[in-house]
Amino acid sequence: MTRSLILSRRHLVAGAALTTLAMPSIVRAQAKDPIKLGTAMPLTGSQAGYGADFITGMRMAAKDVNDAGGIAGRPVEILALDTQADPQLGINAVNRFIGVEKLPMFFIAWSAVVKAVAPVANREKILAINTGANAPEIAHLGDYVYTAFPLADVDISKLARYTVNTLAKKRAAVLYINNDTGIDAAKIYRENFTAAGGQVVAFEAYDPKATEFTGMLLKTRAANPDMVHVHGLLTDVPQVIAQMRQLGMTQRVSTYSVAYNPKIIEQLGAAAEGLIVTSLAPGVEENPLVAPFIERWKKEIGRAPNGLPYIQYQYDMVLLAKAMYEYLDKAGKPATGESLIEALNTVKEFALPMTGKLVIDGHRVDKTVYLLTVEKGKFVPLTTLT
Amino acid sequence: MEYLATVTILIAIYVILAASYNLVIGYGGLATVAHPIFFAIGAYVSGLLAIHVGMPPILSVALGAVAAMVASVLLAASSLRVSGDYLLIASLGFQLGLLQLIRNLELTGGPGGLSNIPSTITGAARTPAFLAITIGLAAVSVLGIRAIVRGPYGRAITAMRDEELAFTALGRNAMSMKIVIFAIGCGVAGMAGGVYAYYFQYVSPEQFEVLQSAQILTMVVLGGMATAYGPVVGAVLLLAIPQAITFLNLPQNIMAPLQGIIFTVLVLLFLFLRPTGIMGASESKPRARATEAA
Repeated sequence: MTRSLILSRRHLVAGAALTTLAMPSIVRAQAKDPIKLGTAMPLTGSQAGYGADFITGMRMAAKDVNDAGGIAGRPVEILALDTQADPQLGINAVNRFIGVEKLPMFFIAWSAVVKAVAPVANREKILAINTGANAPEIAHLGDYVYTAFPLADVDISKLARYTVNTLAKKRAAVLYINNDTGIDAAKIYRENFTAAGGQVVAFEAYDPKATEFTGMLLKTRAANPDMVHVHGLLTDVPQVIAQMRQLGMTQRVSTYSVAYNPKIIEQLGAAAEGLIVTSLAPGVEENPLVAPFIERWKKEIGRAPNGLPYIQYQYDMVLLAKAMYEYLDKAGKPATGESLIEALNTVKEFALPMTGKLVIDGHRVDKTVYLLTVEKGKFVPLTTLT
Repeated sequence: MEYLATVTILIAIYVILAASYNLVIGYGGLATVAHPIFFAIGAYVSGLLAIHVGMPPILSVALGAVAAMVASVLLAASSLRVSGDYLLIASLGFQLGLLQLIRNLELTGGPGGLSNIPSTITGAARTPAFLAITIGLAAVSVLGIRAIVRGPYGRAITAMRDEELAFTALGRNAMSMKIVIFAIGCGVAGMAGGVYAYYFQYVSPEQFEVLQSAQILTMVVLGGMATAYGPVVGAVLLLAIPQAITFLNLPQNIMAPLQGIIFTVLVLLFLFLRPTGIMGASESKPRARATEAA
């Protein structure tokens, strides 16, 4: 009994030694403290479908970065906390990043959550980077709140002008969800559509919890639009479109990046034909790295990603952090909120693999907008707007 | 530590909320689900006064509490003549209607909420100062409500709750008593809202949804309805446990359902094992048994 115990100890020691010899990279990685990247997303609740996939996208990027040697020789670790897209839980998560994990920077999304955590970031001088919310107000939330994701004024303004100038539609109806996502975007659409020479003949808000839109749609039908822009969430946009078709409204519909999701075609079937969506990240046709990424996702997760363009941004956030930390490493500066902001503004242009070039322009970014439309049950590229 | 301090501040604010709700529903027996809207009124009034008028925090929080109190009297005067199910429906309508108003007014920031509420205390002293203020206010609220219900007025409240007809037959005015309880409870909730707005510097309509009533009610029931310290225990448990769970670093496929069912499990567990709540009188006490036997 004693002998077998001694032998097993020997085996353990020998095994450990062999592992050390065989995998020096592991030893090297463990010798240096990891760089922790904090990200607060909804991992439970109604928005968890997106939030959980966002984290998966970041973890895939972290694995790729670690396999390639990490950031300045240090491994990357993703620290994900749940917000349930709830502002209060967002504040709790960010306080944990700052108070417990001592992180100098964190990633965040969902407009209400970004707004809620902004005072904390500004007060504690910690860099907050928005990776998916698009409320235009985010550009004015303070010195420590930056965005790597284009705000609504980028894609919606370009879409509205394209609708008038290229699609030759002159009478638009704008139907929007009555929350900060819908209200701001609807105003931007109206301003740009009107400025391009069109006329907004119906401008209707609906309640975020609404499931019945007949009254609003009958009013819209009476206004006789030749284009309908719906700005809501993945939970209500398909219902609005389905009820439009049931009421005999055949107008072409546009919406934004949230509807660039295979689920919407599954739900709407033929009613989705002709739907125009925006994407703020290049697709399979424009970026050769996207197709292998989708394949890898399907292999590892067993299904298509929820909101591919958003996930491309999450993937790229790890590469953005890598570039920022490498700048600080070269400059011999410690990572603090201030020094990371300096890195962001000094490097300014970041060549990111999944979403292309990112140019930091103060507290906003400009990006190419990709329009897609549904044809024969599939999203196909329509045009690219720069 | 900043994180623990922030969680403690949040717990202290919810202790105030739960204690005030306990006064209304536990001691007063007034079934209302509108408590979050009085919390919201306090938060928005204080936040707006801080942003647009630059009013001193003590004054704006006090005005927030007064506004909540006035709103509660409006609801009470119109709906407390009826009670039970009717009051529940009236309070639900009040909560939904007023929140819809907040969501649609430009002054309140609409659905995007009210941001840029100024930070009145800055620097390293901020969090310790808020910690002291919120714990102090929570203690004053809990002990103040305890003092009310333990005195002769408290016995009258209990009598009114348990047997309103007999209470009225004795010549007491149940209506005015209900309005007073409701106003005190809602005013205290408004004060909690004001402190919340100053500390977190951001308020949005979705933080004051009707479902928050369920959360505060769970705190009250779990801790012990109509007990002085029950809401304290309930608020600490229901806010600290979800935070503690995140430190277990469990895989997401376990964490998500765990967080989702925590309220359900706790409520069911306590309904079966301790229906009077943690601080409530135990049913298995010898005295209770003796009374039953007699």
